[in-house]
Amino acid sequence: MRLPSWKNVKRTLKVLLVLLVIAVLHYSLPQHDIVRITDTYEKRIDPGENRIFWAAPDIGNDPNVQNRDVFFIQAVRPNGKVIVYRNEDTGWGWPPYFKFDTSDLQAEASDLKSTAGNPKWVSITHYGWRNRFLSIYPNAISIKPVSGPDVRIIPWASIFILAALAFVLFMIRRMWLQFRERMVDPAIDNVSEVIDRVDSQADEAAERARGLWARFRAWLDTWRGKPRP
Amino acid sequence: MFALVRLAVIGFVFLTIVYFIVRIYMRSLEAERLEKLWEEEGRPGTMDDFVDRGLADYERSLRRKLIWLVYVVPTLLVAVLIYVVNFM
Repeated sequence: MRLPSWKNVKRTLKVLLVLLVIAVLHYSLPQHDIVRITDTYEKRIDPGENRIFWAAPDIGNDPNVQNRDVFFIQAVRPNGKVIVYRNEDTGWGWPPYFKFDTSDLQAEASDLKSTAGNPKWVSITHYGWRNRFLSIYPNAISIKPVSGPDVRIIPWASIFILAALAFVLFMIRRMWLQFRERMVDPAIDNVSEVIDRVDSQADEAAERARGLWARFRAWLDTWRGKPRP
Repeated sequence: MFALVRLAVIGFVFLTIVYFIVRIYMRSLEAERLEKLWEEEGRPGTMDDFVDRGLADYERSLRRKLIWLVYVVPTLLVAVLIYVVNFM
């Protein structure tokens, strides 16, 4: 059996990292569903393996108890398929929705219940996934009545967040390039001059200073105490 | 209460790191700009003196003080988000 090459291992890790980032964003960013609320209820939940997919106990309550009652909202999509939301505080934790009004939201949801004969369509903003195998539910954030099942909702919040993330990545790159140009490259020049003078093996050192890590190390070395004249 | 303290502490530490990185970056941009300006103005005096004086001015400038927005903007954003999510 041939061992996978280091290049392929790195490529695979990169792909996995990108997939992980996409999954986290898909889980955390707000999404809008147009649905008809059919019922609201609460059920005792004992989070187990699926613990990370449940949010915090209501803000102010004891955060250490293992089980608690959670509000749920049952709804039907325009295509007839059902969807169940949980309704929990996120509090000051992750994801940062700062939602504390769980009970009020449940009251709104109960008020907007309707039947198939006389439907009241609402837009439910939520994050999270529904998964039958893990028993996890998307967390409803807000409910807004809409005129009909075909309303188009523009996801401004997601657009804003993704744009902000893109900006941050762009700035990190700019900062890194500036840092390299102003700090690391001059340091390498200094280091290789010293090496030229002291050591005849300058070529080998330059070879080593080519990698990114070596550039960084060379920059670190510039902070070392210089020999006094 | 614990969750709020945790958010405040982690947020403060994170934003402090961001603050210092942005500060170093902005100062580096300013130094580069001053070095080019020194060339354009026909190399008056030594470059180090010119850049040092320019950076001293920069340290007192509004642009330098605006870096404090690194703390202000996220705090305001959280306050607005709390209002929008819970009270609108």
